[in-house]
Amino acid sequence: MVTAQANPNDTALSGRRSRRLSARRRESIWFYVIISPWLIGLLLLLAGPMVYSLYLSFTDWNLFNPPEWVGFENYIRLFTRDRTFGNAIGNTFIYTFLYVPLNIIFSLAIAYLLNKRLPGMRFFRTVIYLPYVVPVVATTMVFRWVFAPDNGLLNGFLAIFGVDGPAWLLNPNWVKLALVIMSLWGVGSSVVFLLAGMQGIPSELYEAAAIDGASERHHFFKITLPMLSPVIFFNMIMSIIASLQTFTQVYILSADPNTPNNAIVMIIPYLFDNAFRFNKMGYASAIAWVLFVIVFVFTLVVIRSSSAWVFYENEMKR
Amino acid sequence: MNRRIGSAEAVSTYLILAAISVAMIAPFLLMVSISLASDTSTVQMNFRLIPNEFNFDNYVRVFTTPNIDIGRHILNSLIIVVGSIIGQVLVSSFVAYGFARFNAPGKNALFLILLGTMMIPGAVTLIPQFALYRSLGWLGTFAPLIVPNFFGGAFNIFLIRQFIVRLPTELDEAAKIDGVGPMGIFWYVVFPLIRPIAVAVAILTFQFNWSWFLEPLLYLQDAELMPLAVAVRTLSATTSAGATPMWNLVMVASMLLTLPMLLVFFFGQKYVFEANISGGSASIK
Repeated sequence: MVTAQANPNDTALSGRRSRRLSARRRESIWFYVIISPWLIGLLLLLAGPMVYSLYLSFTDWNLFNPPEWVGFENYIRLFTRDRTFGNAIGNTFIYTFLYVPLNIIFSLAIAYLLNKRLPGMRFFRTVIYLPYVVPVVATTMVFRWVFAPDNGLLNGFLAIFGVDGPAWLLNPNWVKLALVIMSLWGVGSSVVFLLAGMQGIPSELYEAAAIDGASERHHFFKITLPMLSPVIFFNMIMSIIASLQTFTQVYILSADPNTPNNAIVMIIPYLFDNAFRFNKMGYASAIAWVLFVIVFVFTLVVIRSSSAWVFYENEMKR
Repeated sequence: MNRRIGSAEAVSTYLILAAISVAMIAPFLLMVSISLASDTSTVQMNFRLIPNEFNFDNYVRVFTTPNIDIGRHILNSLIIVVGSIIGQVLVSSFVAYGFARFNAPGKNALFLILLGTMMIPGAVTLIPQFALYRSLGWLGTFAPLIVPNFFGGAFNIFLIRQFIVRLPTELDEAAKIDGVGPMGIFWYVVFPLIRPIAVAVAILTFQFNWSWFLEPLLYLQDAELMPLAVAVRTLSATTSAGATPMWNLVMVASMLLTLPMLLVFFFGQKYVFEANISGGSASIK
């Protein structure tokens, strides 16, 4: 009890102070008691496993014998000898670089239309949001038939314009675009965030611009877009992190023998196969850490770049 | 925007939105159509967008065919979902209450750590967690899917904390003067007040766990224990090479997987939109 010893001569003062300080201390103890479930989970299910997984990534472990230390061997093999891993990284990047910008462009365009003051917009908003709540497993099942080569929905639609559509999921050149289209079906989630952002933009900004004779295009690019940039930033981070970790669609489609697996394999499905089909736990842990670094770098780059393009209202006041 | 909208602009807006809506609804319609197709059409893979066959008994067959037994899988999903909701709502609210109402050295650092953990890809902990649950003898049980929820979830804690911070503290103070302890204040004062956000967390937990795939696939390989999402995938892959899966029944199962999500969305959208917009993106700034 450091506090009680602080001023032993002045008993009245020290008594009051120690009671006050001990109230503060009691509050601290309560804080840690109350958050303890999360703290225990953090140590047991996150921090501990992370340390262990980092250790495993330097070992050879088949789950049954004790892990055997191999140094950087797993990482060296991943980057020099494992062509499937190269494919997995390449496919994941192509998918992410296609999906994230397209998602932003489509969601902005749709939110812009839905923000117009016209009757019936609530109905359209609901219809456009609905696909987002469909579980990916169900989406994958039905999109097999959307993308079917001969009698599929998409190629049937393209045929109206005389376009002979590709075999989408069966064609290595088109399968990633097919996955992107499938994910864009769920664009409604980003739309809803943007729409809420648009509705929060003060109308005085538009009124002032209108007095200055600004055009509709000016309104969008000089007011709406900058004011929305924090929401776009949020959507971008979330969609990058999610697409780098794509699993379910790829896993389900890979089971089909006609799927071009080299063109569709991504990081997490490859990790899953290594760990739980081939029992290469150490190697799979190394893949997990490469993914961790990739996610970290992408997030950092977006956050760093944000000062150049994300506009915060309260910055004006400084 | 208070700008007047001309009729030409209104017409073109409606046309574009209608086209987008058709694209959004078409896959749903296809799912319904295939789920009602006859076995003959299924074997011929002759499906139409607009249903021309109405085999509603497909919806009965998935429950009565012994090796499909969708009822069992729905029950498994419900067990996982309900267990997870109880854990997330109770524990995340409790931890959020700690972050919102108590001061302590290290609190800000811990809150930053809480936010940071949301960015960590689950893959990094997948293998050690598998090893942990394996050594606990939890493989082939629901425990690895339910128990972790009783440690709270970072995003949910964050959402609820944002909500509690905005509640006035007068009620807490009044209860404190009446001699109610911190536990009592949580249970009798704070918890009843956070109902809207607790409902939102329950809905988000339902949506996540009902459609969850990776971990259930890993921990519940026994067909008896599979939740619906995993069972749908198994159903689409059960046949031997060369044979076609019963796509009509796969789509019935997909419909049964999708419908509860749509229902929960319709009844809960008010809570989720408010939670996401007030607690989520808006305050991430």
